[in-house]
Amino acid sequence: MPAMDVNDKAGRLTLRSALRFFAGKPAPTLIALLLSFSAHAFDLQQLSDQLAKPSVIHGNFTQEKHLRALPQPLVSKGTFVLAKDQGLLWLLKSPLQQDYRITAQGIARRDANGWQLLPNKSAGAEQNRLFLAVLQGDSSGLQRDFDLQLQGEAQQWKLTLTPRSLLLKQVFTQINIDGGALVRTIELLETQGDSTLLRMQDNTADQPLSNAEQHDFAQ
Amino acid sequence: MPSERLLPRLFLTLLVAVLALAGWQWRDGAPLSANLMELVPGSTPDALELQAEQRMQEPLNREMLVLVGHADRQQAVAVAQQLGERWQASGLFEKVQWNLQADLPALREQLLRGRLSMLSSKDREQLIQQPEAFIQQRVQSLFDPFTGFSLVPSQDDWLGLTGRIQNSQPQHGAVQMDIGSGALIADADGKSWVLLRARTTGNAFDMKLPLQVADLLKASREQAGAHGAQLLAASGLLYAANGQQQATREMTWVGGGATLGILLLLLLAFRRWRVLLAFVPVLVGMLFGAVACVALFGHMHVMTLVLGSSLIGVAVDYPLHYLSKSWSLQPWRSWPALRLTLPGLSLSLATSAIGYLALAWTPFPALTQIAVFSAAGLVGAYLCAVCLLPALLKGVELRPAQWPLRVAQSLWQLRTALLKRVPSSVLLVWVLLFCAAGLWQLNTKNDIRQWIGAPPQLLQEAQAVARITGFQPTSQFFLVRADNQQQLLERQAALGKRLDQLVQMDKLQGYLALNQLVNLPAEQQQLREALNNLALHWQPLLDLGLPLSALQAEVAQLQALPTADIDAALQGPLAEPWRTLWLGPVDGGVAAMVSLQGLNNPALLRVQALNLPGVQLVDRLGDLNRVFADTQISAAELKLLSCVLIVLLLIAPFGVGGALRIVALPLLAALCSLASLGWLGQPLTLFSLFGLLLVTAISVDYAILMREQIGGPAVSLLGTLLAALTTWLSFGLLAVSSTPAVSNFGLSVSLGLAFSFMLAPWAGRQKHAL
Repeated sequence: MPAMDVNDKAGRLTLRSALRFFAGKPAPTLIALLLSFSAHAFDLQQLSDQLAKPSVIHGNFTQEKHLRALPQPLVSKGTFVLAKDQGLLWLLKSPLQQDYRITAQGIARRDANGWQLLPNKSAGAEQNRLFLAVLQGDSSGLQRDFDLQLQGEAQQWKLTLTPRSLLLKQVFTQINIDGGALVRTIELLETQGDSTLLRMQDNTADQPLSNAEQHDFAQ
Repeated sequence: MPSERLLPRLFLTLLVAVLALAGWQWRDGAPLSANLMELVPGSTPDALELQAEQRMQEPLNREMLVLVGHADRQQAVAVAQQLGERWQASGLFEKVQWNLQADLPALREQLLRGRLSMLSSKDREQLIQQPEAFIQQRVQSLFDPFTGFSLVPSQDDWLGLTGRIQNSQPQHGAVQMDIGSGALIADADGKSWVLLRARTTGNAFDMKLPLQVADLLKASREQAGAHGAQLLAASGLLYAANGQQQATREMTWVGGGATLGILLLLLLAFRRWRVLLAFVPVLVGMLFGAVACVALFGHMHVMTLVLGSSLIGVAVDYPLHYLSKSWSLQPWRSWPALRLTLPGLSLSLATSAIGYLALAWTPFPALTQIAVFSAAGLVGAYLCAVCLLPALLKGVELRPAQWPLRVAQSLWQLRTALLKRVPSSVLLVWVLLFCAAGLWQLNTKNDIRQWIGAPPQLLQEAQAVARITGFQPTSQFFLVRADNQQQLLERQAALGKRLDQLVQMDKLQGYLALNQLVNLPAEQQQLREALNNLALHWQPLLDLGLPLSALQAEVAQLQALPTADIDAALQGPLAEPWRTLWLGPVDGGVAAMVSLQGLNNPALLRVQALNLPGVQLVDRLGDLNRVFADTQISAAELKLLSCVLIVLLLIAPFGVGGALRIVALPLLAALCSLASLGWLGQPLTLFSLFGLLLVTAISVDYAILMREQIGGPAVSLLGTLLAALTTWLSFGLLAVSSTPAVSNFGLSVSLGLAFSFMLAPWAGRQKHAL
């Protein structure tokens, strides 16, 4: 008899999943955008190949959060390291210092005791799956959730993502990515009127991972 | 004789009346029920407890969980969507859901409204005790690209309370939402499993719905299979459907098998087509039983029908009583044969009725129904056999086959030969030794699961669904009562502290209580007061460029939020999981439930409620199993009591010695069957005991037949043999039932009957005054 009880709490999962979804949402999206791999004629495939080429990218980022109610955007700066087979280090330097790491295990934040895997994300198999798909250059994930439009050429392109699903439409109106050999800017336009602009500067694909970086990924 | 004309007419009048009553009872279709819970003792006299239980049971009986699994995620979603549409179109379901359409505006509204009342205790403490850290975390989250979106835009919630509430929602299970489709997906065993939920229009105890749902599931399985997808389903409806199919199947087997066997036996023994009319009392008996059952209980349970179909074998004994006299009474005429056997027939009815009605005093509604059904059925069969059948058989000259008599004669000679070598007293010692050794090996077993003959496949699927989704709700729950809402939340919080420990020890996966959804009014007030001091610490936020006026306005708005009570907190989509837990105002107080997930050790739960006023564990299964064990003792007492009654009844015709002897034999037979169960390695269950209770009643009849010895020992033995064979045909077939309770019942009755037949000749010989 106890086995038939399974249905009992199923109702409860729906909203909770929705909340978890929103709580964990930006990670895969952002990563997907950073790596942005899918393409049409200059073609999505070519763009995908082009972006998947470098094994390690180092760079600086500037994040501008434009909130409707604030005259000035919230600006933060830092550096990032994207390693093809390992993941992403996102090191926020100002106005506050905070290190993030995204790997197959999930999202971790560094505190005094070292890397701490964020709760909630442990259940975020979906995010990790998408993330891995992105790392491996598997375009099916993004194309399923977004309409992709690519303009321009290999050295100067712009990719526009429009959400397909009702759920995503309630969060984003549009996502714009542009770049050349590497991604330069990512702009997220939220349905509520806020937007986030990420600029990637001084990107280089020349340096290998430093020992410290390797150590960070290894932990 | 005038009675020979009068009796059939009177009986026919009665029969027409009963038929009319039956017709009226069936005017709106069959008054049948399949609700398993109606069969087990209602150990809950408390109305509130009952209401709580029904509330917890309801989803089990109406909801269906299906997992659609495929190695390819997209395929799994596509198949789930197809099935979802098909199910929706079937009209069987009120709601079918395979993807999530969250109502975001309603969510936002609820989060904003509940900023004080829904904030988790951890976040509340930080805001009150470490406002600096609280503000620091808010600054961090404003820059953090990975903490996720808050449903509420920043300018409506600068302090980020809604984001904290969002993140602190209790989470269970391994089900994730697929970003694109909104489908709920769990990954396990190398497959993606899409969750499909359906809520039926009726419940599992509807007589048609479960079967329709089971059929739809079967068709859906095939459809999914064609796409390479696998379906796993869990629902109380499937158990109900299975139970119904099984009951129908078994009723056909037991009823049909017994009927065929008995008719064949009648034909073989009496070699006249018209002797098949002896089956008429059986049909009348079934009719009387059903009518009495519906009249008393409003409906009849399918299990009563299954067990009641064994009545066929007992009811046919009445005509057999005088039909079997045709071996000694030549020429055989129906009315004289009846007159000769009438006293024995009447005694037989009385003893059987006593035996059956003894079942009625057990606390099992199922057995009460069976007792009423059987007792009324016996009366009907008796009346028909006494009043109508002789008239129908008038003019029939029975010339029975001689071979059965020869069989009986040789059996009797065998017995006489045996007794010459081994005296009865020595045999008795052997029998008692056999009993002692068998009883030594007997063990008891009582479990509500014996009522359910669920096929392993259903159980395995339900377990797989539980494993993959991570939902393992338990049937136990806590009922918390209090004078008012404040006290209720306090009591739940006290219980919650204990449950948290179990969760940390991995003894419990989680629980749901109202105090997780809404803070105490006092706690909401503490937050309001703490907000007054926040201005001292929010400089970092101002440094980011947040306007002071905006922060001040927000604090003012928060402080103006009304104190939310339970009813207010239950408004909004986020409260859905908790809504069923609230029982509202009752008996001048309030009450709510605390539901549990993934329990390892039920015994631990009982301890949790100790010393917590107003907190009570409701453990229906545990209670039932205890009732089962207790009932065993009362069943044994009933058995003895029914024996005493029968002895009293038999003193008049047979004297004290004769009566004791006649009753001692069935008791010895019962003892032998108990021992046989031991030898066979079968457990003694409540049902085997009930079976033996019945055997006492039926087999007293055999002892009476043998003691009266109308027409000589061989003829009497033949009469007993026929009666035992017919009864055994119907009860013996119950032993093949796949419901453990029913088969156990059948087995113990079969064994008891066999021993009763063997022991019956020791009933002695009555010196007739005739």
